[in-house]
Amino acid sequence: MNDSSWSIFVVLCVLLSFIFVGLRQKSRETHEYGFGGRYTGRIGGGAAIASNWMSAASLMGLAGIIYLQGYQGLAYVIGWTGGYVLLLVLLASQIRRFGKFTAPEFVGERYGSQGARVIAAMISIAISVIYCVAQFKGIGLVFSFMFGIDYSDGVIYGALAVVSYMVLSGMLGLPRNQQLQYLVISVSFIVPLMWLARRLGYFWLLPQFGYGRAITDLSRDFAIDFTLPFAGGTLFQWCALCFTLMVGTAGLPHVLSRFYTVPNVRDARWSVVWGLFFIALIYWSAPAFAVFGRLMEARSGLALPPAAARGMADVVVLKTAVLAGLPGGLVGVLAAGALCAAFFTVAGLLMTGAASISHDLYYSVVNPRASESARMQVAKGGTLVLAAVVLLLALDPPGLIAEITAVAFALAGNTIFPLFLLGIWWDRANRHGAIAGMLTGIVCTVADPLLGGAFPQVAALFPVTSSALLGAPLVVLVMIAVSLATPPPPEEMRRFLEQEVHGHLD
Amino acid sequence: MSQPKNSHQVNLFRPKKGHMRDEVLIILAILFGWGVCTFGFQLLVYLCQGTGAGSLLTRLTLFNLPLHFWFTGQLLPLWFIVLCVIFNLYIDRITEYHSRRRDRSYE
Repeated sequence: MNDSSWSIFVVLCVLLSFIFVGLRQKSRETHEYGFGGRYTGRIGGGAAIASNWMSAASLMGLAGIIYLQGYQGLAYVIGWTGGYVLLLVLLASQIRRFGKFTAPEFVGERYGSQGARVIAAMISIAISVIYCVAQFKGIGLVFSFMFGIDYSDGVIYGALAVVSYMVLSGMLGLPRNQQLQYLVISVSFIVPLMWLARRLGYFWLLPQFGYGRAITDLSRDFAIDFTLPFAGGTLFQWCALCFTLMVGTAGLPHVLSRFYTVPNVRDARWSVVWGLFFIALIYWSAPAFAVFGRLMEARSGLALPPAAARGMADVVVLKTAVLAGLPGGLVGVLAAGALCAAFFTVAGLLMTGAASISHDLYYSVVNPRASESARMQVAKGGTLVLAAVVLLLALDPPGLIAEITAVAFALAGNTIFPLFLLGIWWDRANRHGAIAGMLTGIVCTVADPLLGGAFPQVAALFPVTSSALLGAPLVVLVMIAVSLATPPPPEEMRRFLEQEVHGHLD
Repeated sequence: MSQPKNSHQVNLFRPKKGHMRDEVLIILAILFGWGVCTFGFQLLVYLCQGTGAGSLLTRLTLFNLPLHFWFTGQLLPLWFIVLCVIFNLYIDRITEYHSRRRDRSYE
């Protein structure tokens, strides 16, 4: 078998084994654990957080952007890990005590406004769609790599595959075993990296920390200084990107709703720590792939021109593995890991988005008397519509995987994060402030693509991938100003915040 | 409404006494450690560019990595984990303390 048929084989095996394990778990759970499933402890909760988080952006996009931009790309590593600190200290326990599990529900309840809830629902759907576009790009690239077809064919076949996978697991009613998912994804990323490090003659037991000598070799033998700070961008750009990704992490709807699968607040907090550790394991590894990619390229004497390098950056992980002569099976493992991460992320996001269409838009606004089955139909239809929209957008992707994902983070950081922050920590914030804040946040997010041409200053201050450094504080100020200028929220909500959310131990 | 104005107040910068004050103190402390190490360090690297300290930051190596790259790429994610552990330990402690004061068993 050659490399690509090996990868197809491994990918099929992994996806089938997930279905098989799901079926077994399902039959066992109905026997042994009853309806609620089982509780897997803090470490298990952490693995679930990490597997919920891992996507094509972490496994393909991150190495790609670091490969292209060196030190500048580390802003992604820091932004996507540091956000969990914000989430843990500012929001995690309080949201849990508040007791609303999705962003639109929280916004609707806290600000007591149907309008705010609808806007929040639309924002969450938009975030899901943007995030999925990046995943579809990843899936399309892996498919075109495996089958040797065009990117656009790859995206179409990939989309068909992911939708069929969702339909199949939905029909079989498979539970998501996120601990197993994390295990498969991380092993399939780290084991090939160890192999790669060993093959290139570097410290392979902990390749995450052993790639330093490769950087030294790059600068000594090929005069490529990979680590030069602020070579490809300014300090403002670095910090804006990093901050945007951090507040975006703390505002992403599918991340926020992770805190309810663990039985108590204390375990929820500790599982964030484990989750962050599991995520960091992958994020320490991604720069190693990027460095080895540069090194292989330099050694083979094929220094790519910038445009070509940008074109292949998102598959640098796979390309490096092939260039280094990894056995076909291992390349397949690498592809399978990335594909699984993208599949599960797409499945989660599309279903959350469709649930939001059905619950927050259709049921609460359009037809409050809709029956259970009608709502189900809307949700199913919504999944397919969202998948079609994502596919159309992914056919001509506007940027690198990490960049597209960053736009979703910017939107979340500019809208949902300030709403949660003030909603939890300032009782005086009211619905007028919330609506004004969300609208301001949307404007900040789209300022660069819409107004950047006419006003270059706007594009410089609110770059499309990193608009939240100025955007999020601006939204907070707008919310405060508008809230103070309008009547306070109902006394009931303020009492609830004071006594239940912040006064549970008084 | 018969209740006096502002009878219920929640404000991150004006926490009420008891558990919330302790909680806000540790939150602000952790956020300080988070912000200084993330953005403060980048500012330091930027300001030191081209100076003796700057070349020290980029020439000194740890694990064969230049110091600034090692700090950002490897130490910071670890530092975030440490911050979260400190936060959790502290919150566990103050929750236990305030629960006992309330004579209530720990959740």
